[in-house]
Amino acid sequence: MWLEECDSFAELCRGYLPYYLLIVLPIFIIISPANPVAASHEFPVYRMHQYDLHGVPHGCRSSPVSLEARSLTGWSTSRHCIITRALDLAPDSFYSIRSKAGALVVVLPEKMHALSEEERQHIMALEEAMLLGPESPIPVYFAPWTPDLQLILDDVSSSFLTDEKAGSAAEAMFNSVSASGYQVVVATSQAVARTDVKVATLQGKLSGTGQEEKLPTIAIVAHYDSAGVAPELSFGADSNASGVSMLLELARLFSALYSVGRSRPRQNLVFILTGAGKLNYQGSKKWLEDQLDGLEGSIIQDASYVICLDSVSSSNNLYVHVSKPPKENSPGGLFYKELKAVSDAIGGINVEGVHKKINLAEETLAWEHERYSIRRLPAATISSLKSHKDPARASILDMRQDDQIDRLHTNTKIVAEALARHIYNLSSSQIFADSLSVSKDALLLWQEYLSNQPRAAPLLADKQNPLVTTLKEAMSRYLGDVKVTLHTPDKRDPEFVFYDVTKATLNVYSVKPAVFDLFLTFAIVLYLGIVYLVVHNFTHAYNLATSLSVKSKTS
Amino acid sequence: MTLYHFGNCLALVYVPYYLTYKYSGLSEYGAFWKCIQAGGIYIFTQLVKMLALATFFPTADSVGQEGFDIVGEFLKSTIDLADLVGILLVLNGIPGKGHAKVLTAGIGWAGAEVLLTRFLLLWVGARGAEFDWKYIQKSLESNISLVQHITTATLVWLWSRHDLRRGLVPVVVSMLLLTVYRSLILDFLSSLLLAGPWSSLFIKAVTTLFMGATTLHMYAGLAQSIGIF
Repeated sequence: MWLEECDSFAELCRGYLPYYLLIVLPIFIIISPANPVAASHEFPVYRMHQYDLHGVPHGCRSSPVSLEARSLTGWSTSRHCIITRALDLAPDSFYSIRSKAGALVVVLPEKMHALSEEERQHIMALEEAMLLGPESPIPVYFAPWTPDLQLILDDVSSSFLTDEKAGSAAEAMFNSVSASGYQVVVATSQAVARTDVKVATLQGKLSGTGQEEKLPTIAIVAHYDSAGVAPELSFGADSNASGVSMLLELARLFSALYSVGRSRPRQNLVFILTGAGKLNYQGSKKWLEDQLDGLEGSIIQDASYVICLDSVSSSNNLYVHVSKPPKENSPGGLFYKELKAVSDAIGGINVEGVHKKINLAEETLAWEHERYSIRRLPAATISSLKSHKDPARASILDMRQDDQIDRLHTNTKIVAEALARHIYNLSSSQIFADSLSVSKDALLLWQEYLSNQPRAAPLLADKQNPLVTTLKEAMSRYLGDVKVTLHTPDKRDPEFVFYDVTKATLNVYSVKPAVFDLFLTFAIVLYLGIVYLVVHNFTHAYNLATSLSVKSKTS
Repeated sequence: MTLYHFGNCLALVYVPYYLTYKYSGLSEYGAFWKCIQAGGIYIFTQLVKMLALATFFPTADSVGQEGFDIVGEFLKSTIDLADLVGILLVLNGIPGKGHAKVLTAGIGWAGAEVLLTRFLLLWVGARGAEFDWKYIQKSLESNISLVQHITTATLVWLWSRHDLRRGLVPVVVSMLLLTVYRSLILDFLSSLLLAGPWSSLFIKAVTTLFMGATTLHMYAGLAQSIGIF
């Protein structure tokens, strides 16, 4: 019975089975659900900023990567993805990478908070070169430092894999067989322009006593977005979380003054938080268009003065940037005088006026007040930076520092005091003291909340953004008539375009060159040949064992 | 190229089995179906072992623990005694003549193991874009386990014979015990010596060859005396 079955099975094997297998196996391989890419290394990476401003493309224009990893010195063609540390990458080499390589992964420094001044300058220069230069057609990603990534970096930089000619043919052979490489894969879709962009601008006001329309108005403006070479990495602690914190603190202080009838001044105060400030102040521009060109009555009129707050915590200096020197008796002049007086009284703070004419030939405006000055509203920007070209205004290094809050506190005190003196037309008396003083805790709270999340304009441009909602709630706690206006760029001729894919996952596979597999096959065939010989000649070994045991028995 | 690597590993795993089957004379006996039966008994034994392990060692999922729990590992390896019972079942249950009997049990057992434990691993792992020496090592290890299983089958057969010389019984029993605790001892040894995967593979190969040679010697003696050729 056994024998029959066994015969039939053998018959089966000899008959159809091999042919069935020929068909079934390929099908099995094709439909097999097993994921052929199971990476041992996965890293979160953040894509370089990509946006169009006034129809001019900026930043990195591509997103998927599937290329061989090379070091900064070892790459040669567009089939290579360069992995390098940010501190090793010079702007010049970036230019050549941008035009000739396949992709770039920049590993950020291990300790972002503890960089030397030189290293900071280096990274900011790199950011400037990347963002302000022409667009880069290759995908560029930024990866936070991890020990695993460091291992890969070391491996790649010490790899034998170079395209240079080796000394001899045998050496070249050995190199190509023994070398191990890395395959870098970022499996995202190609970045496409977002169509659902809505930039929110928030406004709220405090009305003075008397007929509201006839009272002069002071507007305080700050943009709430940040910028950096990668949207997901731009935390913008100084620019412009500090400005927003100061604005909200001013709103809190003045709402206390305005709520009591006796201390209610004959001035209106308007607080405006604008979006997309880093994109040529689009939020302000749109808001002004709505206010001045709209049919409804505007809350900002000729008698207004506009104060913009931008980066107010980076130094112990306050610069008042204007596009036209204010006249002595204009609100601007008076306010500047008060500011100087208060800073002299408090001490340690240097207030300076900086005059710069609006240059319409440049692609972007220098400061936010220029948006208002263009519309013939007297305006100034208060900042602790002297130049609008300071790279710290759009850097991923603009992160929260411990001593920042002290400077912000002092600066807020001066601005609040000067503003109050200007409104009440008082001098030499401290208005914000005791129970109504500038609260460091409140400032710290806002500063922390804002600088703990990336706030690049593309990330805040959805309809119900939590950050915008929080800011709105905060404003409606202190101010009246809080309104959020959403600005959607024109469909046909948009002033600015955002793209998706801001972050992705980087997979790194360690791979061997194709020659290695052939070499391996050769070795396996050799090994199997030896196994064949051993099995084939096993009789000899068996006979040997038999004769040995017979010998031991007879002896 | 990765499918190619999978092919490489597959060849390294299965071709030695095929060669052993083909050139050891088994194919002439038409022992294919018997090998499959042996494999069936292997599967049954593994199920019983798994049930026992799940019943008596339910805390096996605390993998994160550092160190080497010798007593627990020892008890777990004791369950591998069931393997010997399984092989005995194969030897008693499947008819065969002479050398073919032992070889059928060994190859059937090892073949079932290699099919069930290695194929999926290679399919999932070696096909990936990522290269790892692990799969080549696993493949070589399965070659070693072929020799190991044939040795074990021979030892069990020797143990079941009543005409085995009295003096050899303790040797056979101790070697059987050694096969059961072999993986435990080797793991312990390589963790003690901090041996890498290659050197522990080498240790495995050497010990297996040594045990195989000893077993062959005893088997040859017995076969000679009872007249199996």
